[in-house]
Amino acid sequence: MKKNLQHPPLSVLRPLRVLLAGNPNSGKTSLFNALTGARQKVGNYPGVTVERREGRWRIPGQDVLVRDLPGTYSLTAYSPEERIAQDELTHGDHDVVVVVADATVLRRSLMFLLQVMQLGANTVLCLNMSDEAHKAGQVVDTLWLGELLGIPVVETAAARGQGLDDLKAAVLSAATRTGPGVSAEVAAALGGITQPTAGGEASVERMRRLAAAADLLLARVLVAAPRPNARRLTTRIDAVLAHRLLGLPLFLLVMYGVFWVTFTLGAAPMDWIDAAVGGLGSLVTAHWPGSPDSALLSLLVDGIIAGVGGVVIFLPNIVLLFLCLSLLEDTGYLARAAYLTDRVLSRVGLHGKSFLPLVTGFGCSIPGIMATRTIESERDRLATMMVLPLMSCGARLPIWLLIIPAVFPAAWRTTAMWSVYVFGIVLALGLALVLRGTILKGDATPFVLELPPYRLPTLRDVLGRMADRSLVYLRKAGTVILAISIVLWALSTYPRKEHFDVDDALAGGAVFTEQEIVARQAAESLAYSVAGRIGRALEPVFSPLGYDWRIVTASLGAFAAKEVFVSQMSIVYALGDDADPGDVGERLRADYSPLVGVSLIIFLLVGTPCMATVAVTRRESGSWRWAWLQFGGLTALAWVLAAAVYNLGRLVA
Amino acid sequence: MPANAALPALTPALEDYLESVFRLVTEHGFARVRDIAEARGVKPGSVSPAMRRLEEAGLIRYERREYVALTDTGAAAARRIYSRHRVLRRFFGTFLGLPPEIAEADACVAEHSLSAATLDRLVRLFEYMEVCPDGRDHLRHFHQCSRVQEGADHCPHHCPALHGLGERNTVMSVADLRPGQKGRVRQIEGQGAIRQRLLDMGILPDTTIELARIAPTGDPMWIRLQGFELALRKNEAAAVLIEAL
Ligand SMILES: Nc1nc2c(ncn2[C@@H]2O[C@H](COP(=O)(O)OP(=O)(O)OP(=O)(O)O)[C@@H](O)[C@H]2O)c(=O)[nH]1
Ligand SMILES: [Mg+2]
Repeated sequence: MKKNLQHPPLSVLRPLRVLLAGNPNSGKTSLFNALTGARQKVGNYPGVTVERREGRWRIPGQDVLVRDLPGTYSLTAYSPEERIAQDELTHGDHDVVVVVADATVLRRSLMFLLQVMQLGANTVLCLNMSDEAHKAGQVVDTLWLGELLGIPVVETAAARGQGLDDLKAAVLSAATRTGPGVSAEVAAALGGITQPTAGGEASVERMRRLAAAADLLLARVLVAAPRPNARRLTTRIDAVLAHRLLGLPLFLLVMYGVFWVTFTLGAAPMDWIDAAVGGLGSLVTAHWPGSPDSALLSLLVDGIIAGVGGVVIFLPNIVLLFLCLSLLEDTGYLARAAYLTDRVLSRVGLHGKSFLPLVTGFGCSIPGIMATRTIESERDRLATMMVLPLMSCGARLPIWLLIIPAVFPAAWRTTAMWSVYVFGIVLALGLALVLRGTILKGDATPFVLELPPYRLPTLRDVLGRMADRSLVYLRKAGTVILAISIVLWALSTYPRKEHFDVDDALAGGAVFTEQEIVARQAAESLAYSVAGRIGRALEPVFSPLGYDWRIVTASLGAFAAKEVFVSQMSIVYALGDDADPGDVGERLRADYSPLVGVSLIIFLLVGTPCMATVAVTRRESGSWRWAWLQFGGLTALAWVLAAAVYNLGRLVA
Repeated sequence: MPANAALPALTPALEDYLESVFRLVTEHGFARVRDIAEARGVKPGSVSPAMRRLEEAGLIRYERREYVALTDTGAAAARRIYSRHRVLRRFFGTFLGLPPEIAEADACVAEHSLSAATLDRLVRLFEYMEVCPDGRDHLRHFHQCSRVQEGADHCPHHCPALHGLGERNTVMSVADLRPGQKGRVRQIEGQGAIRQRLLDMGILPDTTIELARIAPTGDPMWIRLQGFELALRKNEAAAVLIEAL
């Protein structure tokens, strides 16, 4: 059946809307990035993209809006993220659908394509990963394939930026012409199957017809089939990494390695930045034109430079952590890790698919919670969401980097760091078990996960991601943390105390050194300030945990953003005297016992998920109930655990 | 000769006699009382009363003392009875796949005990199975179906409920494979999301699946098919029925 619809000529005013759809992990986002210059997250496992993203593809003479979709295996979607793709395909407003197919899994891709074509939109088939397909010895007659399908077919290698011009031409031609439809032969093989209703009963017959049509196409256009051992290298690597017995220990070792790198390799650049921040503070003080007691100088040096600088010095560690996570994601190892850990997770009522969001949570809880969209079952998804803040996120890394060296000897630090993460994981598993046994009761749900071949991450992706993460971190430091630092500085400075107890004591005949007098005055000022008063008011609540009012104010600040804990501690000490931000660790060691350190780590790891996390949980779970349960439940649990550890520790010691 | 001329009401025994006469006449050109007795497995003495009754009904006549011939009505009636018998015998034999002796014996019983209406429908069904291309396919599928034939090579007809076939040891699932072993998919059990998911992944009848590895506790499993690899839990794997290759 030929349609001869005359499309209006392309308008320069109205942008052309192009949809990128396809199976998960076929390279849609890589293509999107290549076309629009965006830097959306790609990763070598299915389910990286969980929301639609729009970008501009600049073609001379034509404005094109490209929309990247989550991947889906069919148009009868089950998980929320697949539903997004399905909705967009069936009800979306678009001119051209580009089906991005993984050329190394042709049959399945063609089955998906044929379903999309039945929706009636102008379609272009983009055989992506063509570099890998060629390397495997596969040759496809794309012209003939295009003729049989009645649509333009192009080969691309998105990760290498190849074939984009062909794609451009194909999209423009598809936008202006409705294709002739599939050839009679293919139509016969399809035999008039229709679109199933969403969630309708699966029909083997329908799928068989799709498969038959795909096989027919392949029989015609597959000039050379891929070598059967094309995945040999992947298979060999998996023989070790996914080994029955070695797999899990190796995974733990890999995670240990990640923290070692973060901790050890990050130490040197951290010192440089630390020195620079300290130097900057002294420089400003030395060259200050006004009085050394000016409030502005204090704001600048004690508030901004100490507060923001205290956070910024951990940039190298953050970047390294994200580098490691991104290497794990991009190589495809994470999908293996999900396979290895499914057993453990299913024991506690979670899911192999919960693993990927949980690991994402090591970077930041927010994308982690959003990534739970890949989980089909509502209960599994909620359980994963609830425990996700227990994955120690990148924003908490500075806190550990501050506290751990302060309370543990050097030889123990990597292990301590690793233990913090492991403790979070174990607690998350336990909590999930409780949740799934009480308010989220339900049967085990299916787990099917595709394991892509190992891929070498592209330098562009890895460096791009590192640059992005650095920018995000610095931007956060320069905006949120800066603003909060100023507020916290003000709260810690005002009201000013005019009359010091130390002076009375001196007058009463006590003897202090000059230094002692300054320190005591500073301490009294702080205690007198708003922050000090709030801290003192709440001290009784936190004294069972071993905290004084300084830690209390910093912990409260951590609700706004976790890094604020670090900046507040820096401010407090900077206000106290002229300490560098880098010395805060030493001050902590002097002021607090290791036991308080451990109690603090537990409280900050488990309790008070940050504001943004609460907000995203509200959005993704659809109700405030879950968000508040998460916040309140975790904070209460944190208090109990920290109190228990602190008091037991004191009994033992 | 009107095919649907009313058949005189006969007892089953008389029908059998008439049929025997018909068969002897078609085979040898004649029927003797002795042969009839032999065919029916009775004494010659008991044949005569039956013959007399048939003669009274105008279906046969004695040509000489020993020889029996069919009247026109008798021939028609006998042919109808016999074709009914043949249809049933073929039905039991060819169609249901029973051995000839059983088919013959059961045809003899059924031709008398089934109502004319039922027999008529059976004959039509049989015709349909033989004549209509779809019917022929059904018949072929029926004989290839593993539910029908022990050791049938594969089931092209994917009935949704192969449940309860556990006792048939020809059927196994992906969960029964050993690492490195391959199987060809016969059908996907289960329903809803998981079934759809497996189908969407291209796990369809006739797909070859290889079990790559199993996690230490036997769960999840890692399979290879058509150029890609999947991890799935044992539960899901058990829904994919295969025959080992
Ligand atoms: N060799 C090769 N690898 C590619 C190509 N395109 C993408 N990749 C890699 O394939 C993996 C998946 O790419 P993504 O762009 O995240 O895939 P996606 O389709 O967006 O995946 P989802 O969002 O999970 O559905 C990444 O590791 C990419 O680096 C390509 O043309 N050739
Ligand atoms: Mg994507």
